[in-house]
Amino acid sequence: MQGKPEIIKALNEMLTIELTSINQYFLHARMFKNWGFEALNEKAYKKSIKDMKQADVIIERILFLQGLPNLQMLGKLFIGEEAEEMLACDMKFQHAQIPQLKDAVALCEEHRDYVSRDILTEILDYEEEHLDWIETQQYQIEAMGIQNYLQTQIEED
Amino acid sequence: MQGNQKIIDGLNTLLGYELAAMDQYFVHSQMYLDWGLTKLYDRISHEFDDEKGHATKLIERMLFLGGKPDMQKRVGYLLGETVPDMLKSDLRVEYEVAEKLREVIAVAESEKDYVTRDILMILLDDTEMDHAHWLEQQLGLIDRLGLSNYMQSQL
Repeated sequence: MQGKPEIIKALNEMLTIELTSINQYFLHARMFKNWGFEALNEKAYKKSIKDMKQADVIIERILFLQGLPNLQMLGKLFIGEEAEEMLACDMKFQHAQIPQLKDAVALCEEHRDYVSRDILTEILDYEEEHLDWIETQQYQIEAMGIQNYLQTQIEED
Repeated sequence: MQGNQKIIDGLNTLLGYELAAMDQYFVHSQMYLDWGLTKLYDRISHEFDDEKGHATKLIERMLFLGGKPDMQKRVGYLLGETVPDMLKSDLRVEYEVAEKLREVIAVAESEKDYVTRDILMILLDDTEMDHAHWLEQQLGLIDRLGLSNYMQSQL
């Protein structure tokens, strides 16, 4: 089915964000793992895999709309050097992604592409959940201190 | 089968390191147990078994090559008195063993003793990826969590 060029462009932008996100979370996961923080590794690893599945859905939608999914583009990765900084980098990423997702949802609404809209709101829901999870971690670090927080992240939940 | 003397000597040198590592892990594991650091005891007592396994491989190969395993010598044995010192000393031993393993692997390659080389490769893989990496991780955790928290997580 022929899709609107504006929608295909917006979906491609969302695809770039997902591809960037996959890489950032994957590297963070394995850094946590290397330091022995299994719980943080698990969380970041799952986020990365989820991003890959989201990218898959976007790619399929672009192809269905007879567009060309752009897998070449990759945005800037924010990589931290210590756990706290890594969480802050992930937060920065989420804060950049969410408004862009909302704009894309609004665009879909405007062009009455309700199926693309639905795909994007589902992603938005997950991304907001993840942002909330990071906020929780940052609250805990603030409340109990980084050393106590990290102690709770050694073993898998 | 009569083996090359260079290889047998190399294996005997390695045995000195493995036996030292084995003794050191043995005592350290019992110290952890005495202090109630059960998780460290479990892990280090498992390392003790691993090192015994390594020593067994070396002894088997030497006997097969017609050599005499030297069970007297210990190289690099040094007990720690505190948890970080014990982990650091264990890590130092692992680094030394790895370095010596690389030397003897090179000798095995140049003497075309490919079976010995293969046996030593397995030991090197354990030494680097399992033992040394784990010890580095623990020292990193002590830095990041503080010693008290680290020890609390090892009860």
